[in-house]
Amino acid sequence: MSTALKAALEDLLRRRRLQDDGPPLRGEDRRLCPLPTGLRGVDALVGGGLPRGELSEVYGPRSSGRTGLVLSLVAGCVGRGSLAAWVDPADCFAPASAAAAGVDLARLLWLRGDMRGPRTRRLTEAVAAVATLAGSGLFEVVVLDVAAFPAHDVGRLPGPTWIRLQRIVADSPAALVLLADAHVAHGPRGPSLELRADGPRWSGAAGPGRLLRGLGAELSVGRHRPRLAAFELEASV
Amino acid sequence: MYGCLHSPRPLSAEGALVDIAREFTPRVEGLGTTVLLDLQGLARVWESPAVLGQGLIEAGRGRGLDLQAALASTRMAALLAARGRAGLTVIPPGRESEVLAPLPLELLPLAPERRDLFHRWGLLTLGDLAALPAVGLSERLGSDGARLRRMARGEDDQPLVATPRAESFECTLELEWPVDGLEPLSFLLARVLEPLCAGLRARGRRAAGLVLDLVLVDRRPYRRVVRPAAPSADPRTWRTLALLDLEAHPPDEAVAKITVRAEATPARHVQFSLLDPAQPSPERLAETLARLQPWTAAGRAGAAVLVDTHRPGAFVMSSFGPGAPAAVPPPTSPRAAMRVFRPPLPAHVSLVDGEPAFVSAAAVRGAVVDRAGPWRASGDWWDVAWSREEWDVALRGGGVYRIFRDRMRDAWFVEGEMD
Repeated sequence: MSTALKAALEDLLRRRRLQDDGPPLRGEDRRLCPLPTGLRGVDALVGGGLPRGELSEVYGPRSSGRTGLVLSLVAGCVGRGSLAAWVDPADCFAPASAAAAGVDLARLLWLRGDMRGPRTRRLTEAVAAVATLAGSGLFEVVVLDVAAFPAHDVGRLPGPTWIRLQRIVADSPAALVLLADAHVAHGPRGPSLELRADGPRWSGAAGPGRLLRGLGAELSVGRHRPRLAAFELEASV
Repeated sequence: MYGCLHSPRPLSAEGALVDIAREFTPRVEGLGTTVLLDLQGLARVWESPAVLGQGLIEAGRGRGLDLQAALASTRMAALLAARGRAGLTVIPPGRESEVLAPLPLELLPLAPERRDLFHRWGLLTLGDLAALPAVGLSERLGSDGARLRRMARGEDDQPLVATPRAESFECTLELEWPVDGLEPLSFLLARVLEPLCAGLRARGRRAAGLVLDLVLVDRRPYRRVVRPAAPSADPRTWRTLALLDLEAHPPDEAVAKITVRAEATPARHVQFSLLDPAQPSPERLAETLARLQPWTAAGRAGAAVLVDTHRPGAFVMSSFGPGAPAAVPPPTSPRAAMRVFRPPLPAHVSLVDGEPAFVSAAAVRGAVVDRAGPWRASGDWWDVAWSREEWDVALRGGGVYRIFRDRMRDAWFVEGEMD
């Protein structure tokens, strides 16, 4: 196909917006398009999704839906044919659960921490790996999962860690997501999504045959004038 | 015109005849102690076929080989004449059958029963066989009979199939002064890798692996093998991969000699699409994974693959090499995830009316305020059997967990946290 014909076809695709989730066309800057999480209420609150080229933070207490929210983001991303990476220094990622959430596991690079090592070393190695992955430009989403670590352990990382990661990812079309137990990433300009657990949802009255139907969660964005959204995540049987 | 060189004695060095033949033409077919040469177009270089044939014999003599040579307009005539006649035989076009006629029938590749049959018929020479009527021979022996008759007449049954050159992609650099440290080695690696990769690209090849043979200053050999996720012929990528490998496994002495050998593989051909997502560059992916060497070397990085079993949480790790996107059906609604404890946390669970009422484990402790279960599952009774009773419990302090009782050991565990 001649270059002129290809350019004309790309212009037509761009003008008609035939492929909103298609691969980037020549000259198209994808950094301006956020990555949708797949949760309508959440996307509406954060301007269409998590921004590329920035470090975003998703944090909350146990069973607040933080992992489900990030998996939904990753599932959408790999579903569009991109690659994602999950850096897991606590080795708590469950592949079966991710597959149930619609993640194509073959397109998700999973880095598992060495559980024999001390926690601080695992965290340091994980941050270095995230820097490598974010700098490679191959991955559309890079997740650093430190939710299993106490906040004071994460707080022991050098102060400029998050700014440094923000700078590494700034020129790439990747979104860097920090999954944590509490707000730890001070400095980067990406959004901080705080989640609160709204309790489990059961399928009926207590007794035999009852199922865990899902988890309720509330999301708040912005620390000074928080905006709220509620959502539910369905449990996999 | 075709030529043939034959050694009546077994050869000490395999391929010696092919090497002689390649001095005359690139198209040669090695057949053990015989080699066939395609001599088309050499008439302008050599004065006459006899001079060319003499040149072939002289070349063999120069290497200590006493060879028989034949030149003919067909491949088969040259082959039979070289095997059956001493010295040089030049067969003028159209006289193949006449020259071959006195040669023994054993020169043809005959099965023992076929040879016995021909002897019973009184056939002793190629001429005897060539003189038989083609139709009668074919009626009695089928297509094989007609084929053997054509061969006895010196007619070609198949074209010359050129033996490919043995490919070797290797580059060596002997150093005047030993080098110590990775930085000077980086420049030297570039010097050997660039011609090596250029050679690979010129032949339409890529390197699937790179064997780096170093000779250290104390004459000890030091070998490293780098095999990335995808083949490449990019010198920059290979240099980075080799350096990253040497960084992780540095030689303990200075390096005196570098030999790099590529494991060649055919180049990858990819049909690109305008509308499908662009695939990641294999070179960059290999480089990135090499940078994560502490993770990949210990098998802690890769893609998870679910195992076809009911055993909860079963998976294996495979190397990360994404192909075309799979059509994974998206879930109808966003799913809660499980965050597992590896290994499951041993727990003490208090029961009231057979239901969990209090859970106590490392980092998980609280009264159970709500629960669902029990769900019993078991399997692998023919191997390492497992049997468990699962509960999903919500604790007073927050958190929803999956706990289970191992029925084989009668012990409770916390498997993971719903999130």
